[in-house]
Amino acid sequence: MSDFEAAGAKLYVLSYDEVDALADYKKAHGASFTMLSDSDSEVIRSFGILNTTIAEDDHPWYGIPYPGVYVTNSEGIITQKFFENNFTVRPGAEQLVAAVKGEEFTLAERPATGEQVNVEIEFDGADLPIGITRQIVARFSVPEGMHLYQEPVPEGLVGASIELDGDAEGILPYTMIAPDTRPLTLGTDGHTLEVYEGNVILRLPIAQNGRAITKDDDGRWVTISGKVRWQACDSEACLLPEEESFNFRVPAAFTVMADMGPGEGRVPSMNGATHFKKMTDRRKTES
Amino acid sequence: MQIERDTRGAELAPNQYEDAEGYIAPLPAGSGPRSNPLGVFPTGPEVGERLPDVVAVDSDGATLDLHEDREGKPVVLVFTRSAVW
Repeated sequence: MSDFEAAGAKLYVLSYDEVDALADYKKAHGASFTMLSDSDSEVIRSFGILNTTIAEDDHPWYGIPYPGVYVTNSEGIITQKFFENNFTVRPGAEQLVAAVKGEEFTLAERPATGEQVNVEIEFDGADLPIGITRQIVARFSVPEGMHLYQEPVPEGLVGASIELDGDAEGILPYTMIAPDTRPLTLGTDGHTLEVYEGNVILRLPIAQNGRAITKDDDGRWVTISGKVRWQACDSEACLLPEEESFNFRVPAAFTVMADMGPGEGRVPSMNGATHFKKMTDRRKTES
Repeated sequence: MQIERDTRGAELAPNQYEDAEGYIAPLPAGSGPRSNPLGVFPTGPEVGERLPDVVAVDSDGATLDLHEDREGKPVVLVFTRSAVW
């Protein structure tokens, strides 16, 4: 059973590929999800995400969407969406499963006001392929009556954030995923800031571009290092800003690339080159 | 919305082009499948809206209506560029 099935969700992947191309993909990769063919890009257009920067006669590329993911609840209402400017980057399964499940974490006891914020930092995957995001997950237990700030914050305050080290070569951060905030107006100057309270989970999706892989006798590796920073305040005063470093050394996994060749590598051939030519020719004769 | 493509990048070797974030691919950044948008771009319906109807053909050739097919379960709907390339 896939993680999505275990979470009680259904996974659909839609593209402008022809039905027979999807059938070959499914057979070659053994995908358990539903693949949908939108070969005239009608659904893509109805969602308003057709990539219109591509010229209509630029075959076969015209017709592709701005790629992304929508996650809904059981009523079919969108609860999260993931779109990035770089099409090479896709959200990993862990990120999507976490989005569909939601996560509440409850402590037996919240720390009392004035006590320390406790943070646990985790890397949510077992490896890091190229172009697929895994998350740095920071779980904060914020004491009763206290709050953390959402960036941006005025001078003198530190917002809650997950940052990669400046010299973290080959590792790219993407759009942070954070819970809802509530507005808090500061008494002193009427400034309104957005705050997080209670048990707060921040997730930073990161991906590698393949340029910082190191090799040793045990395999191929990539290192993800950085800091989680925050400052906890109550209605009157703030604790000192804090930070906690993380350093994850994880296997650099191979990415399953689309198979355009005649059955290269470990993945059985899906006749990629044949389908590619068919898609291109069809569009050329239609236009 | 006037959207520009991100053409930042360099040719590293024949058939090896890096983009602004250092990803390498056989086509230059900003062309064909790498027509990444610069800045803000349309991302479709918003959080809080009902997922629009999706009626399409699945890999077995059967027509599928997504809201019917999901049978009250939550959905993850991925719009990908291509399974072929």
